[in-house]
Amino acid sequence: MTDLQTDEVVHGAESSSGGATIRRLIHHAAHYLPAQGPIEVFVHHNTLHAFESESFHDAIRSGQRRYGAEGYLSEREYRQLYDSGRIVDRHLRAALAADLGEQDLERIDGLGTRGQIRLAMLQQPLLAGPDAELRWIVAETDALDRFRPGTSPTNRARMIDQTRAWLNHLNLRDASSLDNAVGELREPLQELWTKLGRDASKWSDAQWESFSLNILWRVVSQGVKVYPPKPAARNYVRPRDVLLHAVGEDIDRNVHNLLIRFCAAYVDQGYSDWALPNRERGFFESFVELYAGKSRGLDRWLRKLPDELEAIRSSGASAAQSIELSLAELRIAEEDWEEFIVQSLLALGGWAGMIWQLESGVDWVVHAIPAGSLEGMLAIQLLLEKHAIRHVGESVFGGHPGVQETLRQSRERLAEPKPLNLERRAFLLFQVAQMLGWTPPQLLSLGDDDWRAVSEEVESFSSIERRRVFHEAYERQFRHAALDAFSHHAERRRQLPKRGSKRPAFQMMTCIDDREESFRRHLEEVEPRCETFGAAGFFAVAIYYRGAADGFYKPLCPGVITPDHYVQEDVGYTFEGVHRGRANLRRRLGLASHAFHTRSRTFIGGIVTGIVGSLATAPLVARVLFPRLTARIRRRFGSLLQPPPVTKLQLERFAPDPGPDNGHIGYTTDEMAGVVTRLLQDIGLTKSEDFSRLFIACGHGSSSLNNPHESAYCCGACAGKRGGPNARAFAEMANDWRVRAKVSALGIDIPDDTVFVGAYHNTCDDSVVFYDLDRMPASHREDFESAREAIEEARRRNAHERCRRFVSAPLNVSARDALRHVEARAQDISQARPEYNHATNALCLVGRRAWSRGLFLDRRSFLTSYDPTQDDAEHSILLRILSAAIPVCAGISLEYYFSTVDYSHYGSGSKLPHNIVSLLGVMEGTSSDLRTGLYQQMVEIHEPLRLLFVIETTPEAMLSIMQRNAAIARLCQGGWVHLAVLDAETSEIQVFCKDHFEPYQVEDDKIALMDSSLACYQGSRKHLPFSSIRETEIG
Amino acid sequence: MDVDVVLRFLGLVVVISPAVLLGALGLPMLAGVKLSERLQAQLTKASVLIGLFASIPILALMLAYGSRHVPIEMGNWVSIEQEHFHFHLKFVFDRLSVPFVILTYVLCGTVGAFAAVYLHREPGYRRFFLLYALFLLGMVVSSLAGTIETLFFGWELVGLSSALLVAYFHERPGPVRNGHRVWTTYRIADAAFLVAALTMHHLTGAGDFDVLMGSGAWPDGQAVIGQWQALAVGSLLLLAAAGKSGMVPFSGWLPRAMEGPTPSSAVFYGALSVHLGVFLLLRVSSLLAVSLPLRVAVIVLGLVSAVFGTLASRVQSDVKNALAFASLTQVGIITVEIGLGLHYIPLIHMIGHACLRTLQLLRAPSVLRDQQMLENAVGQHLSGDEVNPPRAASKFELRMYRFALERGYLDSLLNDWIVRPFMAIFRLFDSFERRWTNLLSGESSRESDRVSPYSDSLEDVA
Repeated sequence: MTDLQTDEVVHGAESSSGGATIRRLIHHAAHYLPAQGPIEVFVHHNTLHAFESESFHDAIRSGQRRYGAEGYLSEREYRQLYDSGRIVDRHLRAALAADLGEQDLERIDGLGTRGQIRLAMLQQPLLAGPDAELRWIVAETDALDRFRPGTSPTNRARMIDQTRAWLNHLNLRDASSLDNAVGELREPLQELWTKLGRDASKWSDAQWESFSLNILWRVVSQGVKVYPPKPAARNYVRPRDVLLHAVGEDIDRNVHNLLIRFCAAYVDQGYSDWALPNRERGFFESFVELYAGKSRGLDRWLRKLPDELEAIRSSGASAAQSIELSLAELRIAEEDWEEFIVQSLLALGGWAGMIWQLESGVDWVVHAIPAGSLEGMLAIQLLLEKHAIRHVGESVFGGHPGVQETLRQSRERLAEPKPLNLERRAFLLFQVAQMLGWTPPQLLSLGDDDWRAVSEEVESFSSIERRRVFHEAYERQFRHAALDAFSHHAERRRQLPKRGSKRPAFQMMTCIDDREESFRRHLEEVEPRCETFGAAGFFAVAIYYRGAADGFYKPLCPGVITPDHYVQEDVGYTFEGVHRGRANLRRRLGLASHAFHTRSRTFIGGIVTGIVGSLATAPLVARVLFPRLTARIRRRFGSLLQPPPVTKLQLERFAPDPGPDNGHIGYTTDEMAGVVTRLLQDIGLTKSEDFSRLFIACGHGSSSLNNPHESAYCCGACAGKRGGPNARAFAEMANDWRVRAKVSALGIDIPDDTVFVGAYHNTCDDSVVFYDLDRMPASHREDFESAREAIEEARRRNAHERCRRFVSAPLNVSARDALRHVEARAQDISQARPEYNHATNALCLVGRRAWSRGLFLDRRSFLTSYDPTQDDAEHSILLRILSAAIPVCAGISLEYYFSTVDYSHYGSGSKLPHNIVSLLGVMEGTSSDLRTGLYQQMVEIHEPLRLLFVIETTPEAMLSIMQRNAAIARLCQGGWVHLAVLDAETSEIQVFCKDHFEPYQVEDDKIALMDSSLACYQGSRKHLPFSSIRETEIG
Repeated sequence: MDVDVVLRFLGLVVVISPAVLLGALGLPMLAGVKLSERLQAQLTKASVLIGLFASIPILALMLAYGSRHVPIEMGNWVSIEQEHFHFHLKFVFDRLSVPFVILTYVLCGTVGAFAAVYLHREPGYRRFFLLYALFLLGMVVSSLAGTIETLFFGWELVGLSSALLVAYFHERPGPVRNGHRVWTTYRIADAAFLVAALTMHHLTGAGDFDVLMGSGAWPDGQAVIGQWQALAVGSLLLLAAAGKSGMVPFSGWLPRAMEGPTPSSAVFYGALSVHLGVFLLLRVSSLLAVSLPLRVAVIVLGLVSAVFGTLASRVQSDVKNALAFASLTQVGIITVEIGLGLHYIPLIHMIGHACLRTLQLLRAPSVLRDQQMLENAVGQHLSGDEVNPPRAASKFELRMYRFALERGYLDSLLNDWIVRPFMAIFRLFDSFERRWTNLLSGESSRESDRVSPYSDSLEDVA
C-alpha cells in the first residue's frame, strides 16, 4: 500500500501542470463560499453575492441548486398570508399577468387559459410529497372518494353530472362495443362496479362522488402515461451523497468531526492556550506533520492515514498534487472536477469560507494564515474522505473493496429504486382537474399531444415558480401601499401653510439607519420647530479611531473604504496624572483577569479558582436576577477605572502626511473643510438662512451583553462599530472658525451663531449622550437645554414604540417603564434579543424630509437626506449618495431577506446553541460548520421583502446614474431592489421595470390621518399600515 | 413544637416541591393544555424558592441543635419478601446532602431564571422546562438519598433528562446522535451502579447507607463490611461515578453534551450532573477507608482524569469544549481529594467549582467581548503571532498535541473495546435469526433489507 502510494506521489510530482488548474478551480469555487469575515466586524452583505450578476429570481434558483437552500418562504407560509389577507387576489392576478405577459390568455386544449390554471394552482393548496407519502395518500386516505376541500359546488356538480351522463351513455352499448369505448378503463370499471354495485341507478350521491373521482384518477393516470417524462438533467453527485443514499452511512460525519477540530485550531486567534504546531507552514503541511508517523488509538477509519501522510511527507508532495491524486483515486472525470471541488468545499462551507477570507482578504487579524490554506484544506478533506469511503466499503461490503469498488457497488444499489414519476404527475393533474372542474369525459377526448401540453403546463408551474409569483404579489401589495402613501402624503405636505422665515429651533442629523426613523419622527412630533436630516452614519469622517481607553486603532467608516486619517481621543492636560494611574490600574486588573480566566481552566489554577469559586455565586445570581441594578453598581465602580470625564479629540494634523503617530494624527483644516462641505451638500443644507442656532450630529451604535453578534447591531456605516466619535469629530470640524472660512470659500456660509454638537444614540437602551458640552458657548446654553429636553422625550417615546414589538413588554406599558424595559434588555446576559436591529426594513427614501415628515413608516425605512434642487446637472451629489446607499442598504435588506426565508441554511440557525470558536465566529454546539448570516431570533419578525428605494429625482437622472455606476445598475436591473422616483412637487411616481421607468397609478384614494405616532401603533404588535400624522400645533 | 417534627416537615417540603413542579408542568402537557411561558417560569421559580427556603432552615436548625443526621422514612414502595427485595425510599439530611441540595436549588433557580428569558418564544420552551423539572427532582432525590435504591432512582432521572436535553435540537442529526451517545455511556455507569446496589443488598441485606456506613453520621461513619467486599462494591461504584462524571475513559461524552441550549449545558455539564459521580464517591467515602486498593484506584483515576482534562482543555479552540474539559480537570482533582480521605475540602471544592463553571458557561458568548476589553485595558494584544511567535515543535510536543486534539483517543478506545464487540454479538444473533426465519419462510424474509436507507430517490433530494 505504502509503496503504491509513494509511486503515485512521485508520479504526481512529475505532472505538476495540473496544479495550476486545481488552483484555478479552487479560486473559482471559493467564490461560492460565504463571504462573512471574523464576527468581530459584521458587515451586512447580499447572501447570494456569488450570483449577483444574475437577476434576483434566477439567483434564487441558482442558490437552491448550489446550496440546497430555499429562496422564498414556503408555500404554506404564503398561503397563510393569502388567507390572512396580506396577499389578495388582485395582486396575485396582477403578479401572474406580469409574469406571463402575453401568454396569460393562451388557452390550453380548451380546458382554460394559462392564467386560470395557474391562478387555481396558487389559490388552493397542492399536495405533493415524497413517494411514501404519495402512496399513502392514494391508498389510505379518501382522496379518491371525496372531492378536495375547497372544490366549488359547481365544479363538483358538473363533474358528477358529466360522469353520470358518460356512464349512462356507456351502459346503452352492448358488451363488445363497450370494450372498445372504454379501452383500458375496463378493468377499473369492473372493479368499481364490484365495489359500488352494478346498478348505477341505486348509487347514492357519495357513491357517485367516489365513482367520478376514481374514474378521474384512472383517466389522468392513463393520460400521463402516453409520453415519457423529461429526463432529469444529469447532475454530478458527490461520492458522499452516493454512499449516504445507497448504504445510509454519512462519511461527512467522521470527516467533518476531525476537520472542524483541526480548522478551528488552525485559524484560532488565541483562545486555546496551546497553538497548533507548524501552522505557520500552511494547512496541509501542519496536518501532515501532526498526523504522520506512528500512532496508536486513532479512530478505526483513520488507521491507515499516518502511513499515507508519511509517504506524502517523505516525497514532499504539495497540496495540489495530493488533490490530483485524490481526484484520480476517486475516479472523478476531468469535466466533473469543477463541480466536485465546489461541492466538496461547500460541504464545510463556513470553515472553508473563513479560511478563504483570512488568506485572501482580511488582513487585520492577530493571527494571519498563509496563502494556499484553502487548497490545503481541500487536500486534507479529500484524503480523509478517501479513508472514510474505504472504511464504509469494508464495513458494508466486507473485505477490502477499496474506494472505487465501494463507490461502484453503491451506485449499483442506487440504480435500483424507481421513483413514482407517473403517479406523481398524475396526482398533480388529478388535483388540478378538481380545482378547475375538468371532467373525465372531457379529459378522455384529449389526444396524446393535448395530454402532453396540459401536463407540461401544470408541471412547469412547479413549487418554486408558484412561490415566485406568490412572492411578487406579496411584495407588490406592500409596494403599492407604500407608493400610494408617499403620493398622498407628499400632496398633503404641499398643502400645509409654509413655515415662516423663522429659523428652526434646532437641527439634528442622524444616520440613515431604519432604527432612527422613529427617533426622528418622535423628535419632530415633540418639537415641531426642529428639523432632522439623515446621512450615512460616519458623516464623511472616515477614520481610524482610538479612544482614550482603547488599545488599538479601529476603522470607523464603511467596510469598502480604507481610511487615510487617524484620530485619537486624548485626556485633558489636568487629568493626565489620573489617567495614567487609572490606565495602570486597568492594565493590572486586565492582566489579572486574563490570568484568572485562562488559569481557571488549568490544573493548579483550577484548584484555587475552584475553591474560591463559591464567590462567583454572587455575580452570577445578581446578573441573572437583577440585571439593571447590577449594571448600575458595575458602572459606579467602573467609573473609577474609566478615563477621566473630560477628553478631547486629537483632530488637527501638523505633519504633512497622515499616520497613527503623534503629529500625523488628524486632518488639516483644508481636509476638514472638504469633509464639512461634502456632508452639508449631501444633506442639502447649504443656504445661510437655513441653519439653526444649534446643529446636533448624532452617531449611533448598540450595546448588549453576551452577544457574539454585537457588531451586527452597531452602525453599518462605521464597519459595525459605534459611530459617536465620527459625529463628535464632525461637530468639532464644523465649529472651527478656520474651517468655516474655507467652507465659506467653497460656497456654504455657516452663520456665526450656529454651534455644532456631537452626540451618540444607543439604539438598544435608547440613551443619548453629548460630546464636548464644556466647550459650548454660554449663549447657546438655553437652546441646548430645550433641545435636550425634546430629545429626552423623543427617546422615551421611541423606547415605547419599540416595546410594542417585544412580547415580554406588556402592550400597555408606560413610556417611563418602556425606557426601563429597553435599558434592562441591554444589560441582561440572558437576553437573546437585545433589540430587533434592522428587522422589518423594507424601504429607503432618498430626498427632502419635507415630503416624508410626519409619515408613519413603522421603523421600516432608511431615510437619506438629499435635495435635488441643489444638485448639479450631472447629479453628482445623488450619484455620490447612492453609490454608498444602494449597495449598503441593499446588502442589509438582502441579508435579512435570505436569513429570514431560510434561517438554517442562509442564516446561522438558532442563537441558543451558539458557541464562539477561535474568536472568529460561532458554531452550533461543539462541532459544527461555522455559521454565517443572521440568527433566527434576530429576524423572527422580519417580513422578507426586497428593499424599495423611493428617490426624489427624475427617471433620466436615475438612468444616467445606472450607466455610470455598475453596482447600482446591477442591483436595480437585476431586480435585487425595487426602485421608484418621485416628484415631490406633483406627487407623480414612476417605477423602474427591468430597464425603463413606467408611471405609477395611485390605487387608494386617501391615506389614514392620525393624531400622533402613538395613535398609529398603540395596542398592536403587527406590521402596521402607513398613516399620515397631523402636524403638532406650534405653540 | 418539637424540632424533629419541624425538620421532618421541612425535609418533606424540600423533596416534594420539585415533584409537584414536575406534575404541574407535565400533567397539563399530557392533557394537551398549553401553559403560558410566564406561568411555567413562575411555577419553576416558586418551586425552587420553596425548596430553597425549606432547606436553609434545615441547615440552620441542624447547626443550632447539633443534629447531624436527620432521616426521613418513606417506607418500602416495593417489597418482595421471598426474594428479600424491597425498594426502600428514604432521605437523609446530613452535612453532605444539605449543602449539596442548597447548591442544587441555587444553581437550578438562577439558571432557570436565565433560561426563562433566553428561551423566550422558543418552540421547545415547554419541553425544556419539563425536562428541567425532571432534572431538578433527580438532583434533589439523589443528593438526599438515604438508600442506594433511592439514589439510583434520582440518578436515573438526572441521566434521562440530561440525555434528552442534549438532544434538545432534535431537528438536526448531530444533537440526537450525541444525546444518544451520552445516554448509552450513562447505561454503562447505571449497569455498574445497579450491580453495586444488588451486591450491597446481598452483603448487608439492605441498601441503607446507614447499615453500610455503620452508625456514625457522615463523614464519621465506619463501614461494617469487609475489605474485599468493600473493594468489590467500591470498584463498581467507582465505575458508575466515572461514567456519570465523564472521567477517563468515558470523557468522550463531555464535549458532545454541549449540544443543548447554553443554560442546560451550564447547569448540567458545568455544574451539577458532572459532579454527581464524585458526590456518590463522597457519599460512600467510608468504604474507601476500609480498602486501600480502592483508595489507590480512586486516586489514580482522579489523577489521570485531571491530567487528561488539562491537556485536552489546552488545545480546544472553542469556549464550550474548553470549559467542558476544564470541568473534567477539577472533577478529577476532587476525586483525588476524596481518595486521599478528605471530606470537607472536596465538598467545598465541588460547590465552588460548580458555581464558577456555571457563571463561565452562561457568559460563554461574551468571550470575544471580554478579550477585546482585556486587550484594551492591557493596551496590547494578548494573543496572536506577535505575542506567541511560531516556533518549531519537537516530536514529543507533536504527539502530545495530537493526543490532546484527539481527546486522548478515548472515543475510539470505547468504540473498539465496548461498542464493536457489543454490536458484533448482536449482529451475530441477528444473522442467526435471519437465517432461521429465511429457512422457515423459504425466501428472504426481511422486508427492511430491501428498503433503501432514504426512501426518496437521489434525484428528489438533489
